[in-house]
Amino acid sequence: MLQMKKLVKDILTLVTVSTVLGIAAQTVLPNGIGLRTEVTIIGDDSSEVAIPAVSINPNGNGEAAQNISLANAYKAFQNNSVLFFDARSPEDFGAGHIANATNLPVHAFMDSLTYLENLDPDGHIITYCDGEDCNASIDLAADLKMMGFSKVNFFFGGWQEWRDAGYPVESSP
Amino acid sequence: MRASLENFLASKYGEWFIRSIQVGLGLLFIYASLDKIMNPGLFAKSISNYRLLPLPLLHISAIILPWLELICGIALVINRYQRAAYTIIGGLLLVFVLAITSAMFRGLDFNCGCFSMDSEESNVGLLKIFQNLGLFFSCVLIEYRTRVVQPNS
Repeated sequence: MLQMKKLVKDILTLVTVSTVLGIAAQTVLPNGIGLRTEVTIIGDDSSEVAIPAVSINPNGNGEAAQNISLANAYKAFQNNSVLFFDARSPEDFGAGHIANATNLPVHAFMDSLTYLENLDPDGHIITYCDGEDCNASIDLAADLKMMGFSKVNFFFGGWQEWRDAGYPVESSP
Repeated sequence: MRASLENFLASKYGEWFIRSIQVGLGLLFIYASLDKIMNPGLFAKSISNYRLLPLPLLHISAIILPWLELICGIALVINRYQRAAYTIIGGLLLVFVLAITSAMFRGLDFNCGCFSMDSEESNVGLLKIFQNLGLFFSCVLIEYRTRVVQPNS
């Protein structure tokens, strides 16, 4: 019983020390975060989703990529003024994707550097993945921003919203 | 079988064996904590990928967890507060296993955020579950030796 009391006391000591150090460190670290979780509301008139701000801009510096609505994504598509990057796996991409989109799986970002380096850094890029259940479009947009692309949007509605709207799609053999 | 294991654990060699596991576990957790401590935003993002924690708890968890790993890791290496440290680490490992399993069942596919914030780190999957279970088992073994050499603990 005495041993158990000591164990609980020691656990509380370690947790307290960690909490104090963790909170203190946020004031020293250049990319420290606050105790309160900041959220960003993403969506349009039909649906809104609250996601943590750190998902879009984890380091809290620089300009974060912004969400783009279905209507504006389609407008850019019609004007032929945008590159769509599909952040899903090659299998999902092959099964169906936005017409003319390029597959750039977020986990294989480093493998695509040579291709990306040859693109116009000021060109408009829209990233997307399945839809509201995935974060790959946001991750890819953050990576592209970090690489120096100035005009990057993520289309949070993604493949599902685009397909359901009946907009142009294609599939790879 | 059980008696010979207990005899071994109570011996000098058993003490060294368990001590080396303890130090190894400590060093591993110190290493695992550093990248998370330096990148709290990325770690918060990593936690949010699991979609398990309520949003209000996200930042506070991302702030405390890496420091808890670091402090417990140091405690294991210097052999102070070691029982509390491996109890906490064992608990964390079980939570990680449950989180990864739940993510797998929900079909989520992302970097697990286990050892670093590197986007090339392996994703949630069976390997990560077995890794964490192996580490959890080492915590159990350390506690088992404590009970062998101090039966009243």
